Amino acid sequence: MEEFEQELRQALERRSAPASLKRSVMARRNARRPQGHAVMWQRLAAGLVIAAVLGGAAEWEAHAREERRRGKAAREQVLTALRITGHALNRMNEQLAAHGRGQE
Amino acid sequence: MAHGWQPNFEQLVEEHQSMVFSLALRMTGDRGLAEEIAQDVFLELDRHLRKMESAEHVRFWLRRVAMSRSADAMRRRRVRCLDLWVEIDEGHGMQLEPRISPLGARLEALLATLPEGQRAALILRYQEDLMPEEIAATLELPLATVKSNLQRGLKLLRAKAERHLSEYVRVKEQASGA
Repeated sequence: MEEFEQELRQALERRSAPASLKRSVMARRNARRPQGHAVMWQRLAAGLVIAAVLGGAAEWEAHAREERRRGKAAREQVLTALRITGHALNRMNEQLAAHGRGQE
Repeated sequence: MAHGWQPNFEQLVEEHQSMVFSLALRMTGDRGLAEEIAQDVFLELDRHLRKMESAEHVRFWLRRVAMSRSADAMRRRRVRCLDLWVEIDEGHGMQLEPRISPLGARLEALLATLPEGQRAALILRYQEDLMPEEIAATLELPLATVKSNLQRGLKLLRAKAERHLSEYVRVKEQASGA
């Protein structure tokens, strides 16, 4: 087996790489560098878009909260007005009833 | 950068291109694909360069990734043994280098017909001169599997050589006659 192994070892000596290999690797590496900047800008743009969306959502939420607060205040005012009106009507009824009893 | 080791990418490519290309070539049997794999391996090294701790670490990493990428490429392309046999018979296989004997070239071509695991183990053993323990670490396989692949691969390759390579039989006969 040793002789065969020796033959195999000789057959499997390292082959020279094509001359274009290193050149292609360095070219692809250099071409990738600007892409790194592009990725950075893309990330920055994505970050700005996300920030704008989140800001818009916060603004909308604050606006909706103010609308709810105003609606609640208006409802309170209507209820207060109704309470006052009801109270006045009750007093008027009581006065009318007293007046009726005086005439009898 | 750990341990103060300062790798120079261009120098690493220069130093290891022959090893990476040869591993990919012998795993795939295709020069174009091997060059493509070697390029991808080096670009991946560039991305992981900060993690490299020593020259030995780079060499180990390159072997492991080259073998793994070659196996992936083989699975994708599903190269069939039948096609390789046609190449051997017609002499259109791997390009011969002047320093490689015709017998060596045919032996190399026969290696391409072995099962992937056996081929990988034999390439690392006889091209890279690695011990079975180092092959097991490179291929991330149990030591017993590697030893078995080496033994079976060598036996199968020898049987194929005796069956198909008349030159090998002639050389053997001349050697035994002398």
